[in-house]
Amino acid sequence: MSELGDNASAFYAVIRRDFHVFLSYRTRLVSQALTSVFSLTLFYYVSRLVHVEGFTTPDRYFGFVVVGIALVGVLYSCFSVSETIRQELVAGTFERLLLSPFGGIRGAVATTIFPLAYAFLLATITLTVGTAVFGLELHWSTVPLALPALVLALLAFLPFGLFFTALTIATKQANFGASWIIALLSIVGGLYFPIALLPEWAQLAAEVQPFTAATELLRNLLVDAPMETSVALALAKIVGFAELLVPLSLYALHRAIRLGQRRGTIIEY
Amino acid sequence: MSGVLTQADLEIAAPAPRPERPLPLSLRGVSKAWDKGRVPVLDRVDLDIEFGEKVRIAGRNGVGKTTLMRIAAGLIDPDEGRADAFGVSPVERPQLYQRLVSFLPAGDRGLYARISVRRQLDFCARIAMVPRREVAARVEEAIARFDLRELAERRVDRMSMGQRQRVRIAMTFLPRPDVVLLDEPLTSLDGEGAELLYGAVRELLDEGGAVLWCSPAGEHTAYHFDRTLMLEQGRLVAA
Repeated sequence: MSELGDNASAFYAVIRRDFHVFLSYRTRLVSQALTSVFSLTLFYYVSRLVHVEGFTTPDRYFGFVVVGIALVGVLYSCFSVSETIRQELVAGTFERLLLSPFGGIRGAVATTIFPLAYAFLLATITLTVGTAVFGLELHWSTVPLALPALVLALLAFLPFGLFFTALTIATKQANFGASWIIALLSIVGGLYFPIALLPEWAQLAAEVQPFTAATELLRNLLVDAPMETSVALALAKIVGFAELLVPLSLYALHRAIRLGQRRGTIIEY
Repeated sequence: MSGVLTQADLEIAAPAPRPERPLPLSLRGVSKAWDKGRVPVLDRVDLDIEFGEKVRIAGRNGVGKTTLMRIAAGLIDPDEGRADAFGVSPVERPQLYQRLVSFLPAGDRGLYARISVRRQLDFCARIAMVPRREVAARVEEAIARFDLRELAERRVDRMSMGQRQRVRIAMTFLPRPDVVLLDEPLTSLDGEGAELLYGAVRELLDEGGAVLWCSPAGEHTAYHFDRTLMLEQGRLVAA
């Protein structure tokens, strides 16, 4: 129990560290919230101008895309961890984590928590502004279910950040191709438009990652968008990806750190 | 002594041909070459540090002192040989090893620039797995012991190099380790800061801990060491 409590205390320390570093940049929340508002404005008017196949009204497409915008932030935050670890390597603070009983792996995992919580806050702001300013209609009876669904989805998304963190530790290059992956996932995950519009071969890519299922499920829960598959199948996919990818990503992180220690490159940046 | 190790731990962790009582720090046949085929920077180095002993390693710049310290800290692995603290290997039991050994790296790195000294120390205590109930007291103790009261709420990037070094030293001693590795600890310190460091070292040695101190050859210090060794061509020799 004490060991568990001390571990929880160390996780808390990392989250609080990230929170205080975040607070020290005073305009960050305002600037990022404004970016979301601008995106909402843009897509609100796009939804008025363009008729998108499969949507009966402009508001249906707007609801569809608002959830996509909210999830893009979550996607970015998953990948931002590798950039944070890169900065820690440069500052020598990752070394401090590595040479503590808490260790580098738990330190890296703990480093993912604040950005994800922050992305959740930004997503909430996006949905709130969408509802209050642009008349987004949330499906209130199922909105509370979106929270556990998002937590589950985060477990499936998190390994992508950890894989990139492992890559950063091994190559010293942050976000090695991450922006391409995010763009690709935004397309095949159906964040801005239905994947049915994609060519068939691209639709296959939609099935081999957890973003499509998570996006579809969250859209259904938040704005009552119809699902291509059943809720149970979407949940099974998300859980399956999480079960497979979480241990694999932790193993990759372990191997990257040990490789750096064996070669002596863990001290490089 | 921190009391982290139990007798059972020592019996399990101790390799067979060792002395009956595992030493605070032991390096055996440690070799490291930075490029394959080149002359190793460390060549089958052996070093034993006894309870209550303070050992200095000196040598010219680039001779491999920091590499030796990093291996002793468990940060990097040797190509050959091994490091142990109380018979515990940093590779086999990293979590336990890091409870026993604390490392002050050379330079001014390892601090979070934008958070205060007090938060920095709190962070350090928690990742060192200091029991939760003791964290606040340990932080206050470190602030008092290293005379950081006036700096406690100040951000690190608004402090002088000497003040930062004092914070780094406070973070090194805060978890109450049994073995402390100090790589050029006097860097940027004024006389008062150096006295605080000497006091912390003395206290650790009085409690049976051990200190490995590394500094360049010719560094002017009146500080007394139990042994001073020179690192030359990858080998440790008596100074």
